[in-house]
Amino acid sequence: MLDYVYTGWGAFWATMFMFIPFALMAYWVIRRKSLVDTGPTRLQPSEFAPIEGIWLTFAFIFFVVANLASLKFIPWAAASGATGGEAEVQVDFTAKSWAYDISNRQIEAGKPVRFSGRSSDTQHGFAVYHPDGRVLFTMLMMPGTTKPTSVVYTFKEPGKYAVRCLEYCGIAHHRMQDELTVVKSN
Amino acid sequence: MSIATTIVKSTPIFGKMFAVDKSTGLEEINAWPALMIMSSFVWLVVAGLLGLVMPATQIFDLGSDHFYTTLTLHGAALTFPFSFQLMMGVGLHRSGGCVGKPVTGLFAALSWLTMNLGAAILTVAVLMGLKVSVVVMFPLPLVGAQMGVWSMESVIVGFTGIYLVLACMILCYPLLVFKMLFFGKKRAELVLSERSLNEPGMLGMLLAAATLLLTGLPLVVVGTTLLLALYKILPMSLAAWAADPVVFQYTFYLFAHNLMEAMALMVASAMYATLPLYLADGSRKLYSEKLANLALWVLLVTSVTSGLHHFITFYPNQPAALSYWGNIMSWGTGMGAAISIFTILATIWQHGLKPEPGIVAVLVGWALYILDGASAIVTSNIAWTYQLHGTMWQSGHFMTVVLSMSLMWMGVLYHHYPVITGRKLDAGLGSLYIKLMTVGSFGAAIVMLAGGAAGMPRRFADWHPEGWMLYGNLILAFGLIIGASFAVYFYNLMKSREISAPMGELARA
Repeated sequence: MLDYVYTGWGAFWATMFMFIPFALMAYWVIRRKSLVDTGPTRLQPSEFAPIEGIWLTFAFIFFVVANLASLKFIPWAAASGATGGEAEVQVDFTAKSWAYDISNRQIEAGKPVRFSGRSSDTQHGFAVYHPDGRVLFTMLMMPGTTKPTSVVYTFKEPGKYAVRCLEYCGIAHHRMQDELTVVKSN
Repeated sequence: MSIATTIVKSTPIFGKMFAVDKSTGLEEINAWPALMIMSSFVWLVVAGLLGLVMPATQIFDLGSDHFYTTLTLHGAALTFPFSFQLMMGVGLHRSGGCVGKPVTGLFAALSWLTMNLGAAILTVAVLMGLKVSVVVMFPLPLVGAQMGVWSMESVIVGFTGIYLVLACMILCYPLLVFKMLFFGKKRAELVLSERSLNEPGMLGMLLAAATLLLTGLPLVVVGTTLLLALYKILPMSLAAWAADPVVFQYTFYLFAHNLMEAMALMVASAMYATLPLYLADGSRKLYSEKLANLALWVLLVTSVTSGLHHFITFYPNQPAALSYWGNIMSWGTGMGAAISIFTILATIWQHGLKPEPGIVAVLVGWALYILDGASAIVTSNIAWTYQLHGTMWQSGHFMTVVLSMSLMWMGVLYHHYPVITGRKLDAGLGSLYIKLMTVGSFGAAIVMLAGGAAGMPRRFADWHPEGWMLYGNLILAFGLIIGASFAVYFYNLMKSREISAPMGELARA
């Protein structure tokens, strides 16, 4: 389940999980106290204190849990687990308006791949899309850095994976695309 | 008569909406804010039309050039001369009436002039061909000129415009606020609703101005260096450090991120000041001022460094430690929001609410801001940002934060408008505006977030692959509803009625 939660759509539903209960509660409170029963409530401020405590504790715990659970899905934190002692396949690339120079476009599924990229002119992105259209990961490159931007990723399924620049880089930004082919492992 | 009053009076169409009421003796706190608010709405019309053109260029295949031109102009017009200027105008009017000081003098004039002149110059640069988006994407302006995509002249003109806009936000406006809060004598005849800096209604104004000044100063230094080099006053060798993309980007986002946070602080402050005026029992009290102040401080302390989340996918060039820091601080702002949610709802529960259009618009804007806040902290999580950064999610977040704050300020304006103009807005039209804006803004925000979740790129002139045009069509549909809501709001301003009672007395009541 967590594999789904820490995807783009998981992010969408996590946002809705936070927003929808708030929206319903706010609507109910505002409607009730402006249209149905507008009189002052007899509760004293001290009587709100337990609700205040419960609400803030719940928010704090939710925030902590959501972030702790995500640690496994952080690319650089996951990298050590992903490789499991297996050698990484190195894929180097250079981004230049408006194309990529990629050292290897054919990758075996199941093997950890280290993508290392640089930009030679302006800011660029390197986002790898699953064949079903979702973003697997994205990288940001700026010119003049001493180290390349880097991510380790292990492809699970064979297929054609689109690569797109997600950092606006000028009038042909939308044409800055490429493709990786993931084949079955030998 | 103030020069600001004269400019408002001589402006066609919009001038009628904001003609300053001189019968009350409050012209010194009304005139410049009226001019700023009026100017912001002129820019809103520009930004709104461009916002609709953006999806239209995709739907009708009008070409990527038009898309990137409108993208740059729409973002810039919406954020700076509309949203920030609206906030500046209403915020200064609030401050003037709370501390009994005039909103006049050099800083007031410079705030208006630098913002509008800068935005106009930037517009000229974009029309000359500079297409760099609202966040400049440095070093794209220079690279584009080197590649011959646009001219170096357009870069120089564009940087001049941006510099003036920054001068307004980082120097002129904060210094004006400090001048009003800490210098000069209070004049009893200008006090409309006296407040001290200990109250959340004023604390946010101070914190926001301080945030703009302090987090913006490094960008002023970098920007000044670059501009001097572009004008060949400084040799490029001495400006090379400022032209380093990493230096520019970090100083830019240190400010740009905190600009949004400062605007949030200020609008939260305005909300804490406005809500008590509409409580059903007339108590004029928040549930807890201490809790409201705590929310502002938590937001301030956590937000200053949370901007590091903009560079998480730059790893290892941004060290992991800084990304974790940005992640944690961003979720810390969520605790500020949680405190604020409790304070607002507890206040309404305790005292009841008079649901007048102004305060309802503020509350709808606040709810939209909470949706935006949830989307913002989610995308600040490192695992999620690796899949959302650079997608339509970020555009949805940015548009929503600007729209929510604007909606709140437009709600607060309902309260200030009679004081400024001596005229009253129609409640029925106000209610219609709120309904349309609620549907349009929440719809557009949710569709943009969903587009991002589906991998739809932002600032991308081809929405056809992967079925993204569906999201584009929905964004246009909800954009049209937002446009209709603004049209109703303007119509209400045009049709506002004279108030018979002396407004100065009503304002002080």
